[in-house]
Formats: sequence, structure tokens, C-alpha cells
Amino acid sequence: MLTPLQVDPRAFAKDKVGYFRYGVVDGKVLMTNLVGEHLFVEPDDFRRFLAGQVERAEPLYEALRRRYFVKDDMAVDELAEKLRRKKAFLRHGPHLHAIVTTLRCNHACRYCHASRTDMDAVDTDMSLDTARKVVDFAFTTPTPLLGFEFQGGEPTANWPVIEFVVDYALEKNRYEHKELLLSLVSNLTLMTDEKMRWLVDKGVMVCTSLDGPADLHDKNRGWMEKQSSHAVVTAWMDKFNAEWVRRGFDADLFHVDALMTTTRYSLDRGPEIVDEYVRRGIRSIHLRPLNPFGFAVNTWKQIGYSMDEFLAFYKTTLDYILELNRRGVFIQERLASIFLTKMLTPDDPNYSDCRSPCGSGSAQLAYSYDGTIYTDDEGRMAAHMGNDFFKLGHVDTSSVDEVLRHPTVKALAVASIQEALPACHSCVFSSTCGVQPLHNYMFDGDIFGQRPLSRKCQEFYGVQAYLYHLLSNDTDGSVQRIFRRWTIQRSRPGTTPYAPAAEVSS
Amino acid sequence: MTENQLTTELAERRVRFQVDESVYDLDVIMGSAYLFLDRCYVFLDRVGDRRVQVVLRTRGAASEEELGALAGQFANELLNQALRKQIGEANGRLREYIMARALFSADGPSTIDRLLAELDAEEMASDDLDIPVPWEKPPGA
Repeated sequence: MLTPLQVDPRAFAKDKVGYFRYGVVDGKVLMTNLVGEHLFVEPDDFRRFLAGQVERAEPLYEALRRRYFVKDDMAVDELAEKLRRKKAFLRHGPHLHAIVTTLRCNHACRYCHASRTDMDAVDTDMSLDTARKVVDFAFTTPTPLLGFEFQGGEPTANWPVIEFVVDYALEKNRYEHKELLLSLVSNLTLMTDEKMRWLVDKGVMVCTSLDGPADLHDKNRGWMEKQSSHAVVTAWMDKFNAEWVRRGFDADLFHVDALMTTTRYSLDRGPEIVDEYVRRGIRSIHLRPLNPFGFAVNTWKQIGYSMDEFLAFYKTTLDYILELNRRGVFIQERLASIFLTKMLTPDDPNYSDCRSPCGSGSAQLAYSYDGTIYTDDEGRMAAHMGNDFFKLGHVDTSSVDEVLRHPTVKALAVASIQEALPACHSCVFSSTCGVQPLHNYMFDGDIFGQRPLSRKCQEFYGVQAYLYHLLSNDTDGSVQRIFRRWTIQRSRPGTTPYAPAAEVSS
Repeated sequence: MTENQLTTELAERRVRFQVDESVYDLDVIMGSAYLFLDRCYVFLDRVGDRRVQVVLRTRGAASEEELGALAGQFANELLNQALRKQIGEANGRLREYIMARALFSADGPSTIDRLLAELDAEEMASDDLDIPVPWEKPPGA
């Protein structure tokens, strides 16, 4: 975070230099503006600019002007409109509604964050009455896009609630006309052919956990059964994918997505993990670091690692992914694509954990099995660990207005507006980054935290620094070509159930 | 702290020096100190009229050379923080105007959205990067 650059604040042309942030990447000065646009300049040129010595006839002047760095030649209203587009997410309410159908789970993963209970703890199942109130509550949020995501525990352990919520939401949406997205996050081990066909019929997308090749996946994700979790998960992924293809859906859009979590056992196996994703037809992998809360608190010594170790893993694996892309194998790294969308396009991908302000309580809400409403799933986990700080209300008693205006939601927004945070306000990555106060709270007991000590800050800073490093050394344009393709996200067709490309009887 | 006054005192895992507040504002000093939190413990104290004492204590063992480098990095960061403060102050009202216009003006069709869409369409039409091709499809697919 330090800036290894010699500057002289006395030589500053305050009438000519507009607002920007800066840092150093590979010996060049990286300048960024309020909407994430960037420019690399040589240190001597940077100092000339600061002193107001770049002449209008120079190509550098136009490059600086186009990025709104020249104060006395700035298209102010144009910049304001770009900022308006970049912050478009502020105009909508919570679009992601995570429903914890049960805490019961048949897995005991080493890093579990989900506060699971054993399979016989049916008192942690959501009731149908509560499920109905959750759907009613979610539909009153002021957002045109409404996504229900089933989580757990293992959500399919309480299958009747999934069926009810899907059917009730689809019926309700005949009158509400929102863009409705339904998704299930499942380990797939309780799946049946009948349930699979029902999910595909209803347009419910499926996301599972896949940590890599069989030995690695099974080591991380302990299952009560003696079978291989990997074998069961991948078999169901293949069946789902085949079913969508059989019904004429575009396989690039309709396939089981997966999330991977990096443990110590993953650190030297990045390419193998990527290969496993490619084999399963998955086009996006999110290299997610372990969060030392949930079960991971207890197993941290065994499976944890430093952020430096994670970033080394990330860089090696990203290099491999880029190499695959050069060879015509198309897979993207998800966190990179989020940052690249912020860096290279006029839009923001509205990723709740990486925006300013954060989306806890304003872009997403989580509903525990008993109907309690939390800022997000991490807030629910904090409650399970004994702290109700992130509880916003209950579907029995709270209105949407009360929840969205809850003091905790406001506090989290204040704690994540980067323009007002130490270090963030002048960080070169500020306009493309984001803060997650809940992570700060989990680590430090303080929603503000201290930036240089925050693992999330180290992760986001390290990843962005590496992306800019790759861009600054991209002499033949091949990296930029791949990166720009990663910023194009085709959305699946809107309101469910989806219309298949060719009707095939199920 | 001017060039002639960067006098450091070294002790085990510790380097101490003073900064002149008539040269660097307190928020510049504190902004610099904040960025050192991941590498050392930082103590600030006012030891005289407009003089702030900075003590940096490393988390592990450190040689005299490393301690001297730490003080040097702090001095460099003071300059960068001072520059950042100038950039912020010189553009404060402009930033407020831009933010207010972006966030609080009436909803409606954005002219820049239209312009960007037109530009996108033009660029896509002659784009040798194959940007219109979904990223997960091989070029030409």
C-alpha cells in the first residue's frame, strides 16, 4: 500500500490537476479516476503533469483529458453521468434473498461457515407458513429483479419448503411481474431423478461445491457416508447438464455452477483444480480463499494459510487459466472478471461483497429457518455464533421499510463507503474495490477494521495489483483481449420458467 | 522534518524520529502512520510545539539497516500523503458537485448511456477483439 515514488508536493498546479488516485505498478505510475478508468504514465511524465507542464499538443495531454484528469479541460457532466451509471445499483433494493430451509446437513466440511446441525435436528427446518411469509416479504422489496437462493445446511434436506417457495413465487409473480431468478445451492447428495426433473421444469438453477479432483474434494468435504462425495456430486452435475441439453437449452448458460474453497491442501494444485472445472463444462471458477470463521476457526491450523500464500496460489492459477484461454479453452476466474468489469467497462457487476457501499441488507437479505431476517448469510452465521448484531427483524413482525432503514444497515453502509475510510479514500484501487464490514467484524470485532491488517483488503489489493501488472506488461494485447471477453456476461433468460431453445418433452 | 532534520534514533526493533507539523499536517502524518500498521507497531506523541514524535516498533527482529529503511519509507510516504491531500483539497468542491449530480439528479434517460451504447455499437462493428462473441465461445464459433 505504500507508494514507492518520489514526488514534490510543492510543485503542484492546483488549477490544472483534477482529481485522481495513484499508485505504482512495475515502475509505472497507475492513475485511476472516479469511475474506474485508468492510465499508466512514466514517473517523469507524472511529475510534469502535477506541475502543470504537459502541453496540449502532446498525446499525453489527450490521454489525461479523456480520463478527466485535467481540471481546466474536464467534461464534468459527462463524468457525472458515467458515475451515475457506475453506481446504478444504488437505485434498487435487495435483489438476492437467501432462504435457509434448514440447518441440517449430511456433510461436515472442514471449513463450513453454515452453522450446520445433524440430520436428525428437524427443529431447524423452516415451516411452510414461515416460507410463505418469506416470499410475501421478499416480493414487497422495491426491486425489479428478485432472486431466491436456497441455502442451508443442506437445503434439499427440507425439500417441501423448496417446492412450496418455487411454486408460490412463480404464482405470485404472475401478478407482480418481476424478473424472477431461482437457484439452489446444494451438495447434491440427496438429489433424485424426480427432483432433478422438477427443478429443471421450474427453471431453478443449481450451484454446488466442487473443490477440485476427487482426493482433494473428499479431503475437504467430509461426508457421513462412506462414499466419495466427489463421485456423487460430479455424477449429478453431469446428469443435470445432460438434462438441460436434452431439453434444448444452451449448455454455455445452463449447467450446474460450482464454488470452490481453497484450503492448505489446494495451494499447490491450482491447475488440477481448473482442469476439473473444465472437464465438468464449467466456464467460470471463483478462486475463493478460506474465511477463518465457522468450523474453520477450529481447523485453521490444519487447513489455513497466510494471504501471501493464497495470492501466490491465485497468481499461479490465474496464469494457468490465461494459458488455457490462449489455447482456446474458455474459462474465466470470477473475482478477476468482477474487477475487470469495474476496470474496463462502464458498468459495475453489483457484487455485494465488493462494492461501495456494500450490499449487506441493501442488496441482499438472508432468512433463517425460523423467519429471522439478517443482513446476509454471514450475518446469520454471526448470530449462530452468539451475536445478534446483524439481525434486522422477523418476517412475522417487520415491514420492508423497517428492515431497509434499520440502523445496522445504515452502519454497514457507512462502514463501507470508501471515500470516507482511512487508506481506501486515497487507494489507487478505490473506485474498483469494495469493503465488507462483516468480514471486519468477524476478524476484528469492529465493522470498520484496519485496512492494512484486513485479509479481505490484502486479497482484493493483491488481485487487482496483479491484474494491472498483467495489463501493463501486455505488449501484444493478448491479455487485454482475453480480459475483455471475461467482462461480457450473458444473462440467462429472465422470468422462470425458461423457454428452451427447442422444446423437448420431459 | 526537513532533509537535514531526519534524525533517527535506533534501538532494538525500534526507530524513533520527529516530524515538523509546520511542514506536514497532522492528518498527513496519521495517514502515513496508518499504512504502516501491517508491518510495525506505531506510536505517535506530541513532544513539542508543532513537533510529532513517531516511534515504529517492528513485530519481529530487525537490523539497523532495516529500521533505517523503515524510517525512510515513512518519510517518502509523508510526501505522497501530502500530495494526495493537495489533490483532494484542490478538487473537493468539484467532486461534491459530480457526486451530487450523479446520485441526486432526477431519474431519466442518461445521455451518456445512449452515447456509450452508440460507441459500443460502432466499436463492435469493427472490433478485431471479437468482443461481441460471448467469452465462453471460441472465436468464430
